[in-house]
Amino acid sequence: MSMAEGPEGGGSEDRPRPHHNDRAGARARILGKVRDAITKRRREPHPGHFGGWRDQAPEDPVEQFIRLFKAAGGEVCRFDLRESASEWVRNFIGDYATVSLGTIARREAQHGARAVRIEHTDPADAEVGVSMAYGAVAETGSLIMIPQDGRRAQLLPPVHVVWVEERTVFPMLIDAMAALAKELPSAVGLHSGPSKSADIGQILVKGVHGPGRLIAVLVDDKGVQW
Amino acid sequence: MSFTGPGRYREESAKMLRDKPEMRHSVTQATRTFDDHRTHAFGQVDGERWRDWARDVKTHLLSNLDIYLEQAEESLERNGAHVHWAETGADALAILEKIVEDNDVKRVVKAKSMLSEELAINAHLESLGVSVFETDLGEYIIQLLGEPPSHIVGPAIHRSLDDCRRLFHEHFGTPLDAEPDALAAAARIALRQEFLAADLGISGGNFLAADTGTVALIENEGNIRLSTSLPRIHVAFVGIEKLVPTLGDVAGFVQLTTRSATGQPIGNYVSLIQGPRREDEPDGPEEVHVVLVDNGRTNLLADDTAWEALRCVRCGACLNICPVYRQTGGHAYGWPYSGPIGAIIAPGLLGLEKAMPLPHASSLCGACVDVCPVRIPIPEILVHWRERAVEEGLVPLAETVGLKAYTAAAERPVVFGAAGAALRYAPLELGGRALPILSGWMQERSAPKPSPKSFMQLWKEGLE
Ligand code: SF4
Repeated sequence: MSMAEGPEGGGSEDRPRPHHNDRAGARARILGKVRDAITKRRREPHPGHFGGWRDQAPEDPVEQFIRLFKAAGGEVCRFDLRESASEWVRNFIGDYATVSLGTIARREAQHGARAVRIEHTDPADAEVGVSMAYGAVAETGSLIMIPQDGRRAQLLPPVHVVWVEERTVFPMLIDAMAALAKELPSAVGLHSGPSKSADIGQILVKGVHGPGRLIAVLVDDKGVQW
Repeated sequence: MSFTGPGRYREESAKMLRDKPEMRHSVTQATRTFDDHRTHAFGQVDGERWRDWARDVKTHLLSNLDIYLEQAEESLERNGAHVHWAETGADALAILEKIVEDNDVKRVVKAKSMLSEELAINAHLESLGVSVFETDLGEYIIQLLGEPPSHIVGPAIHRSLDDCRRLFHEHFGTPLDAEPDALAAAARIALRQEFLAADLGISGGNFLAADTGTVALIENEGNIRLSTSLPRIHVAFVGIEKLVPTLGDVAGFVQLTTRSATGQPIGNYVSLIQGPRREDEPDGPEEVHVVLVDNGRTNLLADDTAWEALRCVRCGACLNICPVYRQTGGHAYGWPYSGPIGAIIAPGLLGLEKAMPLPHASSLCGACVDVCPVRIPIPEILVHWRERAVEEGLVPLAETVGLKAYTAAAERPVVFGAAGAALRYAPLELGGRALPILSGWMQERSAPKPSPKSFMQLWKEGLE
């Protein structure tokens, strides 16, 4: 069928169904229809990089991350020393009977300089999960989670504690994408707040499937006073 | 209850208005809330420039779609994902069936996906003896109710809190006065077992970046991340129009789409999926399949007017603002895509005859154009399909009066802009004939004759 005939050929059932494994045929037919459809039109140019989504004056990236992350229901603990941050994390998870550690945290718990004995529980059975973020995004208030640290610990426990270094806060999402694109893992997750839904009578509930509490432990490793 | 096609739109919408006034209340409230949030979120950014950019990226993509499809395939295969091509809905189901058979799949968890509704995947899996669970809370609610979704973003917005209380009481024994938190907790427990036991997870794809082979998915609950992370196999169904050239474009589109859909700066969770787990990753699916689906999209692409509808990012903003959708909700449209966007893509995806009378399910008030984040000229495309329907003898001539006037004005953008308000009332001056849906309802309800008042006033008087 020539595509110039227009849309009336739409129904799927009147065409003979190709064989299951006719991958090459289906591919060629779809690409052929696409080409037939667009040859008569101009190939339009890409408008380029948007260059910034906001009109407003730029905000300090870390401040902006904190503001948006909190607005979406996330919690933030900010530390100027790694020492105090790890102490806070140890104390926090000490309140829970079962803890699941991401790959990086687990390595530290087992081989760290300080002998911290934390038993690792499978994320499906843990009350709290501890992960390390690849970075964060100021523009959207997002933590960037990568699969090398373990996806299940990022998703299954009802409370999720995420370590993030301030120097890894990207001003815009496109900056983070550019950095990630250099060596993309199999799946990146941007986590911008606790799991929520308004599907029941338009009333907001938290912790539907993912963690109901999301805590960012922001660490300024330069030790700068603020 | 399942969809039976748009053919009975007039009867279904009249029935909805007559028999289910409480449904209209839920829909109106939900859509107003969505729209308020969208308005607020766009007030914070340079929305007009952003929408121009998004329109231009998608126009570029569509006018070079052959090149980008090949590039996306190459990138995905480089990442270790399997790429399939489905010309029709039947092909897409056959591809899934093969994956299910090859891997002896028994249990499936599903992330919300409009394309999967279009393909009727659940019914097919059930016919194969595979258990399938919708995991989005709204989708889960309607799956338990045995209903199709009524809105492309909020599938259960036609159901009230009390409806959910009764439903969960029957299924889980929760008290009839349970708070939403308790209901969500019951669903969480039930679905958590399914996530952990499933062999295969199904998702759609909001975007597919051709340069990196990235399937991008936006959500708030975490069920999409779980569905695409826990089961051994992940299958993503992606419409061919969902491509964007680069991962950098995805950065813009995920934000624009969420602002437009719910007013958030970004969804709580965005998944960027490249392929199966790698050696240095402790978990994640071992197999990732991406099914590129045409199923009538190339028909739309070939149409010199309607191709612009393929820019759609399925944000639902045009449904939320639409006075017709607000009155009836989504079920009356008779297929998964309701509201203005559903009315303009139905003729391409279903064929014009089967799509009738959806191109008439609009007053051409133009509210949808003002909110669409990719600037799809929805009324123009509606008029185009109405004219085509007349040419093909699918509609009585009387219903076309007034369309020419609209087209003439729309062809002169300056006049259109300046006379925006006047134009919105123009159809009424033509004796209501350009509002065939409205006059249809009015006959059913023997409401007073339309007067040249505002569209919303008229709507209220006629229908309440
Ligand atoms: S047509 Fe525009 S407003 Fe409607 S769902 Fe699509 S992108 Fe959103």
